[in-house]
Amino acid sequence: MAEYACLIIEDSPMMRQLLVFALARVRNLRVTEADDGVDGLRKLANARFDLIVTDINMPIMDGLKLIRRVRTDPVHKDTPIIVITTEGAQEDRHRALQLGANAYITKPIQAPQVIAKVKELLGVP
Amino acid sequence: MSSAPPAPPRSDRPPSFNKERDEFIQTFFNKGARFTQELLRENELLNQQIGELEADNAAMRLQIKSDQAIRELLTKITELETEKAQLLSEVREVEAKSSAVEMTYSEVETELANLAGLYVASRQLHSTMNVSSAVRQVKEILEQLVGAKTYAIFFLSDDATSLVRIASRGLDDSETGRMDLHAGLVGKVFSSGTAVIAEDGNLPSRHEADPAACIPLRIADRVVGVIVIVATLEQKARFLPVDYEFFKLLSGHAASAIVAARLFADADRQVPGIESFLEHGV
Repeated sequence: MAEYACLIIEDSPMMRQLLVFALARVRNLRVTEADDGVDGLRKLANARFDLIVTDINMPIMDGLKLIRRVRTDPVHKDTPIIVITTEGAQEDRHRALQLGANAYITKPIQAPQVIAKVKELLGVP
Repeated sequence: MSSAPPAPPRSDRPPSFNKERDEFIQTFFNKGARFTQELLRENELLNQQIGELEADNAAMRLQIKSDQAIRELLTKITELETEKAQLLSEVREVEAKSSAVEMTYSEVETELANLAGLYVASRQLHSTMNVSSAVRQVKEILEQLVGAKTYAIFFLSDDATSLVRIASRGLDDSETGRMDLHAGLVGKVFSSGTAVIAEDGNLPSRHEADPAACIPLRIADRVVGVIVIVATLEQKARFLPVDYEFFKLLSGHAASAIVAARLFADADRQVPGIESFLEHGV
């Protein structure tokens, strides 16, 4: 059975842990964590990922800049990206989708919703 | 030698008698012929009827055979219908069981997600001995897990006469920075130690006078503060069962985490000497 690799880019350790716990429910999914956009890019340069889950509001490099960089990366230009946004950030959400994000999840996150979105984008049952 | 036939005897009857006799014979033969013809016609008719009856009989035999086949088919259909009903009933049973299993699976998944949320919140809350970091963890739980949009965290003042706001989000700093210990809903929650949580579906549009939730902050049995969630995010119309668990967690652990961090800072981040633990050993 195919194994998938997912990169979670989130500055809040609490949110990161929650996402890790949620994605542990998806079979054959290996999860890597990154603290912010720069850390995320570093990890993307060193390995190939099948999915990226990123927060929008992060220090150093935010999610929007990260999406722009990922979409110019020959290795990950087609990798599905899920952005995590806050309620009022409709502009961010719109911008993220425009830049090439594939889906978004609104906080507070619900694990079943995250799992469903990840499975949908990876095309796994 | 030939001899001539004998001459008919001469009749001595009168001619009228002979004529009468001939007429009688003629009539008799005529009647016989008619009777014979009638018999022949009747015979023909009877033969025809026999033929018709035989044909009818043959048709009836076929009909009986056909009816028998139909009866057998009907019996077969009834059996098949019964079998079908039984199979459908079994399918429905399996579907119901499958649906129940799916529902249970979904419930278990939700329960697991809830437990994971509580575990992460609890772990994060006690992961630091820094006051601002501890307060930030409480804020994160409120924002990221509960979905609070506007809220305030109050602690009891040093002179124990009022509640002082130590952190908030989305509220005017000039307002409700300090409030009387017994004022309004917050005072009531502080005095009673019992949380007040709105149960309607209108949490996002709540205001300070009628907040979505007031949760007492405890250290052991003492209430030392109150968390006031004024309103929630738009998509959080009502609190979920897991939110009540978060409220219990915050009520029982938030204050102790913050106070422990404060005391640790006051002690210059020094871990007490072993003697202080031995005193309390069993």
